Amino acid sequence: MNAPPEPAAQAAECTCYHCGEPVPPGIDIHVTIDGVDQAMCCPGCQAVAGLICASGLDSFYRQRTAFNERYEPGDKLRRQEFAVYDDPQVAARFCRDSGDRVEAELLVGGMNCAACTWLIERSLSALPGVEQARVNLQQGRLELRYDPAQLRASDIFAHLDALGYSARPFHQAARRELQTEEMRDDLRRLGVAALGMMQVGMFAIALHAGDIQGMQAHYTDLLRWGSLPLATFVVLYSARPFFSTAWRHLRRGALVMDLPVALAIGLAFAASTWATLSGSGQVYFDSVVMFTFFLLLGRYLEKRARMRNDLPWQEAEDTLPAAVPVLRDGQWQSTPRVHLCAGDTILLRAGTAVPVDACVLDGDSAVREDAFSGEHRPRDVAPGDTVFAGTVNLQANLQARALGGYADSRLAALQACVEQAGGHKPALVRLADRVAAGFTAGILLLATATALAWWQIDPQRALWVTLSVLVISCPCALALAMPAALASAAAALRRRGILVRGEDALETLPRCTHLLFDKTGTLTRGELAVARCLPLDALDESRILALAAALQQHSTHPLAAAFLQWRPARNVTAVRQVPGAGLQAQLEGEEWRMGSAAFCREIAPTLPPPPQDELLWVALVRAGVPLAWIGLSDPLRPECAAVTGRARQWGLALELLTGDSSARASRLAAQLGFDSVRVGQSPQQKEQRVAQLQAGGAQVCMIGDGLNDAPVLARADTSMAVAGATDLARTQADFVILRGGLDKVLEALQLTRRCRRVVWQNIAWALTYNACAIPLAAMGLVPPWAAALGMSLSSLLVVANSLRLNTGKPGGS
Amino acid sequence: MESLYLLIPIALLFCAIGIRLLLWAIGSGQYDDLDKEAWRILADEEPSPPADKTDGQESR
Repeated sequence: MNAPPEPAAQAAECTCYHCGEPVPPGIDIHVTIDGVDQAMCCPGCQAVAGLICASGLDSFYRQRTAFNERYEPGDKLRRQEFAVYDDPQVAARFCRDSGDRVEAELLVGGMNCAACTWLIERSLSALPGVEQARVNLQQGRLELRYDPAQLRASDIFAHLDALGYSARPFHQAARRELQTEEMRDDLRRLGVAALGMMQVGMFAIALHAGDIQGMQAHYTDLLRWGSLPLATFVVLYSARPFFSTAWRHLRRGALVMDLPVALAIGLAFAASTWATLSGSGQVYFDSVVMFTFFLLLGRYLEKRARMRNDLPWQEAEDTLPAAVPVLRDGQWQSTPRVHLCAGDTILLRAGTAVPVDACVLDGDSAVREDAFSGEHRPRDVAPGDTVFAGTVNLQANLQARALGGYADSRLAALQACVEQAGGHKPALVRLADRVAAGFTAGILLLATATALAWWQIDPQRALWVTLSVLVISCPCALALAMPAALASAAAALRRRGILVRGEDALETLPRCTHLLFDKTGTLTRGELAVARCLPLDALDESRILALAAALQQHSTHPLAAAFLQWRPARNVTAVRQVPGAGLQAQLEGEEWRMGSAAFCREIAPTLPPPPQDELLWVALVRAGVPLAWIGLSDPLRPECAAVTGRARQWGLALELLTGDSSARASRLAAQLGFDSVRVGQSPQQKEQRVAQLQAGGAQVCMIGDGLNDAPVLARADTSMAVAGATDLARTQADFVILRGGLDKVLEALQLTRRCRRVVWQNIAWALTYNACAIPLAAMGLVPPWAAALGMSLSSLLVVANSLRLNTGKPGGS
Repeated sequence: MESLYLLIPIALLFCAIGIRLLLWAIGSGQYDDLDKEAWRILADEEPSPPADKTDGQESR
């Protein structure tokens, strides 16, 4: 389990008690938890922590083992969207209604440790009408049974949102059930092997003691006959996947690690069975069963480490609103999105995602199109313009004519592109399988040589000596070398806030030669911040920003977020948002405006033009008096330069792929020491660039965040999604950075390199062990007890070596 | 030592019962979420204000 965060130590460095992120300077908010004032980084975290304490659930903070995710406030419209889940047609997709009881399944995002499940279960159980709330942490899923007369579905969504968790309807039950069943099967095999190993092991100790001290033959037979049924069951039930995998690959002519494994298990079992039936020779039942157990355990742990990191699979389509107001017979009717057809007149509410590609009929607004361009700066739209599904309508309601269903949309095309790109991902020949091929051939050769040699020396013993060679050569440690190291590395990365998802990701990352970065949201924060303030009047900077904050606090425009950190000035009234222009308001009887130059010049004609700069300039004016130009920009993450510098030292080629075509991108690239830069790239062009590099023999690691990066993330040899990435990007990335900045990229790289070294050490040790033991076996000097002992010791050594990866302090900084 | 002829079959019988029980427990979903169950035992305290509901029943 993860090490618990140390709130006391963290508080000293002034990090948020709730989410663990640093508290920005100038923020001074606290929540009293367990009688101690704890610092919070933002009003969102404050609200969540306040709610948790007010419900008497503050022991959550003592129990948790990981920080919560930072609560993103300000999206008031998100709550209005929850109302669509009350629509019976929409609800039918994730609820089972049996009259007076509803059973709903939701996906819950943001759960980082077991205490979160406790918090959610407790807190939901306290809602009136909730009968049962069960959270499955591994799958991030909530099962809820409630009384629809007392509670609406939207209340549940709103409650989870208020606790700081994001909730979505869950409707890919089939895939999840399949996964659950698979994990159960693995656990069944493992459990059977474990029980079998214990019992057979007990018989084996008696047999080994008998070997050394002498034992009457009929007792030996009894113990052998006792072991036989158990070992048979373990081999047939638990070890079956080894046989089936080996056979499947063998038919295709591929030698994989499972082949020597299956050979060792099969031959040792067959030999022992024959020995039991004929009452001669030696039995290796304990080795067979122990080997099966160790291997299953290693693989189960590796798989579980990855499954824990599995994110709820999400299609791009799920991010779209489920219900849309459609004009039917002169009235707006809420219609499920799936029923929309081309030609329907739909209403796009301000602040919601556009459900289908549509042509604007009436209204002016701005849309944020980061899904396609990666650019967070909005595009103004007017009647006649086309808006695309998946973009967000920011400012005002729009009436639009639907151009088709989801399948016809540009978003669907992007999703298709992602799937196609994933199919082109270069296949990896796993290291273990490459070793296995040589190993199998070597063992078979040695066994044949042994058999031939003993045939000359002593034909009586030839069979048993040859079999003992095959048993001794049983590649237990070798087959454990990879899964043990990978599971340990995945756990170590998880402790550092990085999820490993891709099956081969840990093997591929240390080989990468090219690091490709996206710009907006990856190198930069992806949100606008005030970069410069240029007063034009007597007002000082802090007063200007306070006034700006007061005007912007009611705005849904993305640039409003830049002003959240200033305390808004009072007495500002009648704030009105003018789409495509700016804001106007009343203060002390005068009209104030903030926005574009043209809009502000209407009341203050003397406003000078903004400085010639790449910043996004916004004017603030009072009637007749220009007050200030405020310059906004998307700031670079502070650790960028250090990260690119280190990566270059390590000999990696750096490239910037960005949808942005401004001069700033090229300048940034030069400043950060990128080897090359490609600006104005569409998602398809980015993917082509990766394909081109791969064709040239490069191993590419792509680091991105947006929906538009998803195809290239899927295509690259390895990929990482940075903290705050969109869901589609996360599901395509091999590594998902949960918290922290770009330096995690290097941390992951470093750890996977260490992992690779450990794998090689493990393989080297396993081969050395076999190289020493096989000659002894070939000389007929290894009794069964020594074989069992040697096998378990060498396996334990491999496991211990792998565990070294997960020691040391996470973070390292 | 003749008792071994009785004891070993009994041991096998117990082992079979154990395996059967384990398979049943896995099949009924008791091992589906190992992360939470390992932690749950530490968190049996009731929240401080009156809690009118008992914690979720695990049986299905």
